[in-house]
Amino acid sequence: MRDLKLMPTCGSAKRMAPRHWRFIKAAMLTAGSLHAAAPAAAARTPAGTVINNSASATYDLPGGGQDTITSNMVSLTVDELLDVGVAWTDGGDSVVTPGALSQVLTYRVTNAGNGSEAFRLTARDNAGGDDFDPVTTSIVLDGNGNGIYDPGLDIVYVPGGNDPVLAPDASVVAFVLSTIPAGAANGQRGRVDLVAVADTGSGAPGTSFAGQGQGGGDAVVGATGADAEDDGYYAAAAATVTFVKSATVADAFGGTAHVPGAIITYRLTATVSGAGSLANLRIADAIPPGSTFRTGSITLEGAGLTDNADADAGEFTGSGIAVRLGSVAAGSTRIVTFQVAID
Amino acid sequence: MKLMLILSAMLLPSAGLAQNQVSLDSEIFVERTTHAPNGAAQVALEAPGVVTPGDPIVFVLHYRNNGTAPAAAFVVTNPIPQSVSFAGAQSAGAEYSVDGGRSWGALAALTVRNPDGTRRPAAATDVTHIRWRLAQAIPPGGRGELRFRGVVK
Repeated sequence: MRDLKLMPTCGSAKRMAPRHWRFIKAAMLTAGSLHAAAPAAAARTPAGTVINNSASATYDLPGGGQDTITSNMVSLTVDELLDVGVAWTDGGDSVVTPGALSQVLTYRVTNAGNGSEAFRLTARDNAGGDDFDPVTTSIVLDGNGNGIYDPGLDIVYVPGGNDPVLAPDASVVAFVLSTIPAGAANGQRGRVDLVAVADTGSGAPGTSFAGQGQGGGDAVVGATGADAEDDGYYAAAAATVTFVKSATVADAFGGTAHVPGAIITYRLTATVSGAGSLANLRIADAIPPGSTFRTGSITLEGAGLTDNADADAGEFTGSGIAVRLGSVAAGSTRIVTFQVAID
Repeated sequence: MKLMLILSAMLLPSAGLAQNQVSLDSEIFVERTTHAPNGAAQVALEAPGVVTPGDPIVFVLHYRNNGTAPAAAFVVTNPIPQSVSFAGAQSAGAEYSVDGGRSWGALAALTVRNPDGTRRPAAATDVTHIRWRLAQAIPPGGRGELRFRGVVK
């Protein structure tokens, strides 16, 4: 006897895409912009820059010849503008299971001002506008700059301790880690706002902080109020299903040789995890080429099913088998078996 | 005596240029727009206090003929500071350069080379220098001012 682990071929497999797939996509999107974060041409004048102006003039002297004069030099120092932007970058709800720990939302914090500035980050997990409140346990800064949360590698954020210091137009990816309440139901959303505030100060646009700007000038609150936030969402997928298909071969001589007449027993295992239940779950599988379905061989949970399309849950369709599982609760497993003979 | 020296220095800020017949002074103001309670916008020129990127500024040049003879063919040139984007002349008769002062003309007549070699019409933000050529000589004691606007990049 031997077991063959096969990829599921079940036609009705309702599978969730792996959750980390979206993060991979997000990382690919953000990796490029990380390097393009400081467009030189459109950049604002850095804080502390001195603008000098002087004019010159020429005119004809009465006795002939020309005189050239130069005006005084007027100078002004560009002050620091305090502006910040926050964007949730997951590209869609982060799909989570109720009760799960350390579920990730991804945000990008950008210094939209013209001076190097530190920003204080806060995660607001009870903002409303959602169905459940995630419990945020930490904010983590993307230390290696790959846009993906790497536990143990990325830097746990400590407010006031390691506020990210960003050059003008530079940005940092911040991950919000939350626990999903066990009571979150299928399809419900939970919102977390990431808030970034300039350490120098914030408030109404135009508010200035004398002498606190980079380069010795003042710091002035810009259009963003030096206080920005964006809302990100978790979506609870209460129940998910995974399929595993295995096969055992028995030949006529008590062995496991793949010879004509040997019987292959296929075993399809559907496991529903999470919470809640999945409705109208159905398993279908095709009879492999080079083999023949053995009549009366379909079982569900060890009980035989007829081959006809009738009152019971299973049938042989002529080219494959189909079993209707109905509503299956999370935490439970359904096993379907059937047999074919090698031609 | 010492006080006298200081006083004279204050009265003649351009002591080194005292032999020049015509004087030229430069000033910078910041345009501040405030809104009255009824919503009407009021624009005022202020001495530059707090200046940040995006602020509109006004450059004012004062000239004066301190001599006893007319000053003819008076030409004033002002390079646009690097961190300022030119935003238009407020005094009539200006000529512009978009190539560092090599060639001059009306803005509509100037072009700028694209990276691919083609040329496009020049915009105000391309201006590198502004100048005025006064048609009339400045009479003795005559004075005037020239203004242009910019935006802190």
